[in-house]
Amino acid sequence: MNPLTFIARRLGAAVVILVILVAAMFTLSHLSHTDPAHAYLGAGASKSAVAAERAKLGLNLPITTQFFHYVGNFLHGNLGVSYRTRNPVTQDLAEYLPATMELAFYALLLALLLGLMLGVASAGHWRGARILKFVMVSGASAPLFLLALLGILIFYGHLGWLPASGRTSMPNPPTGPTGFLTLDALLAGRFNMLINALEHLLMPATVLAIGPAVSIGRVLRGSLVTVLREDYIRTARSKGLRERAVLLRHALRNSVGPALSMTGLQAGLLLAGDVVVEQVFAWPGIGYYAAQSIPVGDFPAISGVTLVLGLGYVLINALVDILQRLADPRVRI
Amino acid sequence: MIMARAMTRHRQPEPLAVLPEYPGGPLSGLATTRGKHPHAPVITDIPASPAPPRPAERVAAVEDLHVTFRRNGRDVQALRGVSLEIAQGEILGLVGESGSGKSVLGLTLLGLHPARTTTIDGKLEVCNQSLVAATPEDWRRLRKTHMGAVFQDPMTSLNPTTRLGRQVSEVAGSSAEAIRLLNAVGIPDAERRLSSYPHELSGGLRQRVMLAMAIAGPPRLIIADEPTTALDVTVQAQILQLLRRLRDDLGMAMLFITHDLGVASQVADRIAVLYGGRLMEIGPAGEILEGPAHPYTDGLLRSRLTLTTGRDRPIASLAGEPPDPTQPPSGCPFSLRCAFVWDRCRDEMPAPTVKPQDTTGSHMVACWRTDDLASSGQELAGKWPAAPSAPGLAVLANNVTKAFTVRKGFRTQKLHALRGVSLEIAPGEVVALVGESGSGKSTLLRAMAGLLTIDSGSIEFGMPGHAQMVFQDAGASLTPWLSVSTLLKERLTRADLSSNERADRVRASLATVGLPAEVASAKPRELSGGQRQRVALARAIAMPPPMLLCDEPTSALDVSLAASILNLIGRLRRELSMAVLFVTHDLAVARMVADRVAVMYLGRIVEIGPVDDVVGNPRHPYTRALLASVPDPGAKLTTARGEPASPLDPPDGCAFEPRCERSGDDCCLCDPTLDLVRPSHTGPARLARKVACLHPIAGVPRIPGGLPTDRHEGDD
Ligand SMILES: Nc1ncnc2c1ncn2[C@@H]1O[C@H](COP(=O)(O)OP(=O)(O)OP(=O)(O)O)[C@@H](O)[C@H]1O
Ligand code: SF4
Ligand code: SF4
Ligand SMILES: [Mg+2]
Repeated sequence: MNPLTFIARRLGAAVVILVILVAAMFTLSHLSHTDPAHAYLGAGASKSAVAAERAKLGLNLPITTQFFHYVGNFLHGNLGVSYRTRNPVTQDLAEYLPATMELAFYALLLALLLGLMLGVASAGHWRGARILKFVMVSGASAPLFLLALLGILIFYGHLGWLPASGRTSMPNPPTGPTGFLTLDALLAGRFNMLINALEHLLMPATVLAIGPAVSIGRVLRGSLVTVLREDYIRTARSKGLRERAVLLRHALRNSVGPALSMTGLQAGLLLAGDVVVEQVFAWPGIGYYAAQSIPVGDFPAISGVTLVLGLGYVLINALVDILQRLADPRVRI
Repeated sequence: MIMARAMTRHRQPEPLAVLPEYPGGPLSGLATTRGKHPHAPVITDIPASPAPPRPAERVAAVEDLHVTFRRNGRDVQALRGVSLEIAQGEILGLVGESGSGKSVLGLTLLGLHPARTTTIDGKLEVCNQSLVAATPEDWRRLRKTHMGAVFQDPMTSLNPTTRLGRQVSEVAGSSAEAIRLLNAVGIPDAERRLSSYPHELSGGLRQRVMLAMAIAGPPRLIIADEPTTALDVTVQAQILQLLRRLRDDLGMAMLFITHDLGVASQVADRIAVLYGGRLMEIGPAGEILEGPAHPYTDGLLRSRLTLTTGRDRPIASLAGEPPDPTQPPSGCPFSLRCAFVWDRCRDEMPAPTVKPQDTTGSHMVACWRTDDLASSGQELAGKWPAAPSAPGLAVLANNVTKAFTVRKGFRTQKLHALRGVSLEIAPGEVVALVGESGSGKSTLLRAMAGLLTIDSGSIEFGMPGHAQMVFQDAGASLTPWLSVSTLLKERLTRADLSSNERADRVRASLATVGLPAEVASAKPRELSGGQRQRVALARAIAMPPPMLLCDEPTSALDVSLAASILNLIGRLRRELSMAVLFVTHDLAVARMVADRVAVMYLGRIVEIGPVDDVVGNPRHPYTRALLASVPDPGAKLTTARGEPASPLDPPDGCAFEPRCERSGDDCCLCDPTLDLVRPSHTGPARLARKVACLHPIAGVPRIPGGLPTDRHEGDD
């Protein structure tokens, strides 16, 4: 495919997904029984105050007009005001998002690494592959919250090796410039801080990563086994290369395509699991924020979170597509 | 001049694993009688020559080698007691039909047989290391230091996602050495090629890259498994020459696997013929080709087409097919197809023994009746009846052009597949279309079949009915889950026939192509390659078409099967008086099937005329180059330079100019048109000899009063 067409299609798909998300959010907020004006003013508000607020929020306008306002606001980066925190949702998101991004980043990285290990080890019949597979598959088949609780019980409660909540236990964490605690600590030269942040990240990231890692590993193993039957692998062996070099240098790059697609798909699951994991580990991210907004029907907040997660999903998949193209010189952009 | 012989070894000198060495001396005299293999030969005196090769000269040897695979719960006996040796610096040609075990022997020597499903038995030795009990690691070290390999398909044998520089340096040790190797195998502009990916190279260049990797070291033994089968004849001739030159310069031994005795004759010092996992005959190449002592070798040679095979009668093809490797016959493996078979042949397996008349002891044969064969002459088949001729034209193509749009990065480009082709074929006439891959042969055929639309020009058919097509890969063109009778009946749906009549037609067309009626209920995958090709033909003629379009229908088949299919086409065209357009890259095949031949180059016909005339007396330099590349035993190969120019960007002037040995200053300016060779041509216009060249090769002068070499009057 022509690279321009390729990019245009990717962008088109991303826009379509986001529009669907926005429409879904709008519909949901109208189907619910929560009156935004009421929710915003609080339980004790007078009838006239609520009516005035409804007019101010445009809730008496025809539903189509409301929808266009809704979309227009989105396009202007105006996600409304949270009923609960009374802050603009964008401001809340800016506060909570970096924590989630950092967690998701490390979880995805870990999923890729573990998946790679699992796939390569089992395709190459490496020693320990079976044990690795057993541990990972049992991990992946347990529900997320159970895995999280079990982790806390063992590594925090019993062994005391790892912390169980929050992003850090040290005072005065750095506040900028990236919002990634690990990176900011590194930039500020605070290595203790870095270690501490990594310790906090380890358990939630692993819990999030293990399911996707098993899926990635399985797909990778499948494509590796197919690729290992190719003629050019026979050529590599006829050169007298070590089996490890054959696998890593010649087979792996030709096998990553399907594993990368799987990573893109699994990113969605990972983001969904994030809400649960942040709750269990008291991780101050948007999952945590969403978990607090849902019970009170804080629709602007929920829509904001949904939109951001959707955007993340779309971006990760676009990235995966580009990586796949880069892996194969025959379709190079 | 290529590499110095004392090339530095860039493969890391790894210490070889200490293996139990063979207890000195050649493998001779080790009589083995194994309980496990009741038919294993009792090996006596290998070789019984007065001067047996000294052990130091022997690079590889197998003795009583059995290789068995486990497949679908059954034992596939790929090799059943093979003994042979390869001496330092020699090229041993290993020949045999598909499934005879050639590749298995090659892969076993490399240690690349699938480890889990294979049982190896017997003795196996490479570079003085016994390998029967070798671990994969021993074998790997041996490959690294002493062996190299080249495989059949250059398209799939290189890693598509790794730059060539890396793939070559990986075995050469450094980029500098990689460049040296690439230069040595004749890759132009080697340094720039290091950053290319395999898909950016032509098949011939890719095979050269494979060779560059194989000679890194340099190794003592190269296993070359059909290294030229996937290439054009011209490129094949180049690679064969290169192989010989590399061997002469570097002095390594080579096991050269091929299914074509002609190809083997061009490179091999000795030839070994394998059949049903057994060695049938082995000896010096010249002796085997001139005086084959085994009926199978003889049959292979007779089925092989050359530029001098008689055209007036069917080819003497070897009937039948190789035995099933899961149930090999207990006697001579060839007994099922052999014209000389005796009772003894069916019960007892003959072991290779020195040919009686042979005084050097180097020519060995496994046959009970070698002596009788020598005295028997082969009776020839009856002559073909004259082909029927009818007035009018079956097809008239006029100035056809076709360009495909291909995308390259951001740009789209035009690939000019046909650049103005005109061709007339009469009813009952066979025209062969020859040329290298990419010359547009198949495109013209597909345009005539109506499978693609042409950009300009016209194609008109002179008779009612549709042209039918037969492809190279019959397996892929038959729907795998439908039975043969369903496949044939599909062609009869349009005809006004009752179901009984249809069944009759199916039986009749199967009989016409020489298949038993039982085949009707079989599925394509249950049939062999030759049978599938026959089914494809039966399907094409179920409703006899006015014209048959054949796209390399025999190039995927063994020589014996190919010969029988060509005979079949020869018979069908006469019985059904069909016009046939036959695409092939092989001029020897073209000569056998066709009345006229059209030579294509880069989307144009550059020479056309009666087939004997063109083959015997080529006028276009390209036709001559094609003819000179045909690997016939006894013929000396001379090769065309280079490879075809890109159809994306045809050169100005004559398209053949970059490769032409006769080109003059005007050739790159003026585009030659297809003109009459003899302006005073008489007879039907379509039969005229034409050539598109500014400086055509002069015709053979007539000997006054002598043999008329040229039927037409007026020579130039
Ligand atoms: N890995 C394998 N597993 C099972 N059977 C095999 C395997 N490799 C080869 N065989 C069988 O062994 C026999 C000999 O095969 P081999 O590939 O050596 O034939 P060949 O002479 O090289 O034929 P071709 O000309 O088609 O390459 C065949 O019956 C084949 O199906
Ligand atoms: S041994 Fe018998 S069957 Fe076999 S090739 Fe010789 S004559 Fe034919
Ligand atoms: S026209 Fe010139 S370059 Fe072309 S084939 Fe003839 S002699 Fe060669
Ligand atoms: Mg083979």
